[in-house]
Amino acid sequence: MSVRIKGTSNVLAIRWIPKYTTLERTLHWVHTATFIPLALTGFILFASWLQPLAQGEAGLFVRLVHRIAAVIFIGVPILYAILQPRRLMMHLREFLSFDKYDILWLRGAFPYYVLGRHGDMPPQPRFNTGERMNAVVTTLGTIVFAVTGIPMWFMRGMIPPSVYEGLVIIHGVAFIVTGVMFMVHFYLAVVHPMMWQGLVSMRFGVVSESYAREHHAIWYYGEKRAKQQWEASHKQPDSEEQQKG
Amino acid sequence: MKLDRRGFLKISGMAVAGGVAVAAPNVGAAALAENDVGILYDPSKCVGCRACQMACKQWNKLPAESTNAQTMPVEAGGNKIYDTPLGLTAQTWTLIKLGKAGQIGWHFFNYQCMHCTDAACVTVCPSGALFKDPRGFTAYDPEKCIGCGYCTQFCPFGVPHLSTDNRIAGTLTGRAKAAKCTFCQDRIWNGLGGPSCAERCPVGALVWGKQADLLRAGTQRVDTLRAQGLSTAALYGENVAGGLHRMSIIFGEPGQYYLPENPASPAVARGWKDAFHWAGQAVFGLAFLGIVGAFFVSRRAIRMEEVE
Repeated sequence: MSVRIKGTSNVLAIRWIPKYTTLERTLHWVHTATFIPLALTGFILFASWLQPLAQGEAGLFVRLVHRIAAVIFIGVPILYAILQPRRLMMHLREFLSFDKYDILWLRGAFPYYVLGRHGDMPPQPRFNTGERMNAVVTTLGTIVFAVTGIPMWFMRGMIPPSVYEGLVIIHGVAFIVTGVMFMVHFYLAVVHPMMWQGLVSMRFGVVSESYAREHHAIWYYGEKRAKQQWEASHKQPDSEEQQKG
Repeated sequence: MKLDRRGFLKISGMAVAGGVAVAAPNVGAAALAENDVGILYDPSKCVGCRACQMACKQWNKLPAESTNAQTMPVEAGGNKIYDTPLGLTAQTWTLIKLGKAGQIGWHFFNYQCMHCTDAACVTVCPSGALFKDPRGFTAYDPEKCIGCGYCTQFCPFGVPHLSTDNRIAGTLTGRAKAAKCTFCQDRIWNGLGGPSCAERCPVGALVWGKQADLLRAGTQRVDTLRAQGLSTAALYGENVAGGLHRMSIIFGEPGQYYLPENPASPAVARGWKDAFHWAGQAVFGLAFLGIVGAFFVSRRAIRMEEVE
């Protein structure tokens, strides 16, 4: 893509690198569009000050919304597994990787995302540590919601009350964990000033070359080269040249 | 009074159990308020006429139900059932059953909401549809009910039931309403008298009144029955679940009447409803504040010209 910069004859050329398939983007937004009503209708039961919304006709409507959204929410990963199983397996493998670069990333995350201190973030693959944590929480959360929610919906009276109670509590804990993760994810992907390309990639499926180089060096350069560059620049912190070369 | 070894063991067992119950912090009698009302059921007076069942249906406008013993498998009672319906349902809030229990063998027993002081259904109800009336009984506002069915799960007596027009559609959509004995709350609130079952009972087996009076009357009746030789007579409900507002006289172990020995309100349910929900709100609130704070800090700190 090239953009002519206003008032000049300069042309800005951006190389775009594909990151997500169309199906992945669609399912991501379907999952979002169902998670939000699920979270809001679930939150009503957490907040005693919202109790009027949980009473009578309103309560019946809330329960219906929660059920419809839940079916779609659980259907999303199933559809993904059926239509693009290789992509799913590739992602799951990526999500579960963890090494010393992730520890370095976690250490650098606060100064980087909050205080804007560049240059101290280790190279990352296609998904950085935080994105992978979000993905693991989302994946596990969806499984836990399904495993606890389906019995709560269909097996009432068949399972003993103590088990039922446990399911309700696990469902609630999963809600707290995924709900907080959702807030952080929303902030970093939509609100945070530095991270605007996340939203672009989830809409158009691509990220710019410069963004990939900066944020996902292992993906851009390959694991060996990216790590070599990082090691080299961190053995001699003065020689910034070496990193760029 | 004849007292064999078995009877002696039972009485001493009950004495120990009573002692434990008195020592436990959750004693109903202590929480008893001046205007608490209740029902006392005495099966030794009950003739099984089921006037209570009829009165309940009439006052609460509940439809009749049919029980088809012909189509029922033998394991489920088959062709030797004595009662219809077989248990409490969303349309049957009070029920007389014939059974063999305790010292006096075959006798009738009335089942209805026990109106626990420490009511599990009220603890778990998320919409406030089930609540405690200041007079001690467990009242119910069907307008607020969302049919979640938690009360049907957690009631230690299995009293509330869900009603739905269509079983499959009800399950899929979650549209249903719970129903149970309300102590004829509309009669109480409008000064029309007491529960219709107790008002209709022709033999005084079901009586209603001030809880304190009923406790006295029940204890006296137990003494009388014991003096007549029914050594296992006991008052059930005085000390369980914080004190029941529907007490019964029994002649044996509560289990023989399908009554729980210690129907405690589920402690975890209380923790989940109170502490857990507040903790959840606190976590969400803190996360939100943290993110808003981070936003303002980072907006000042980040130089956009460095951003790729």
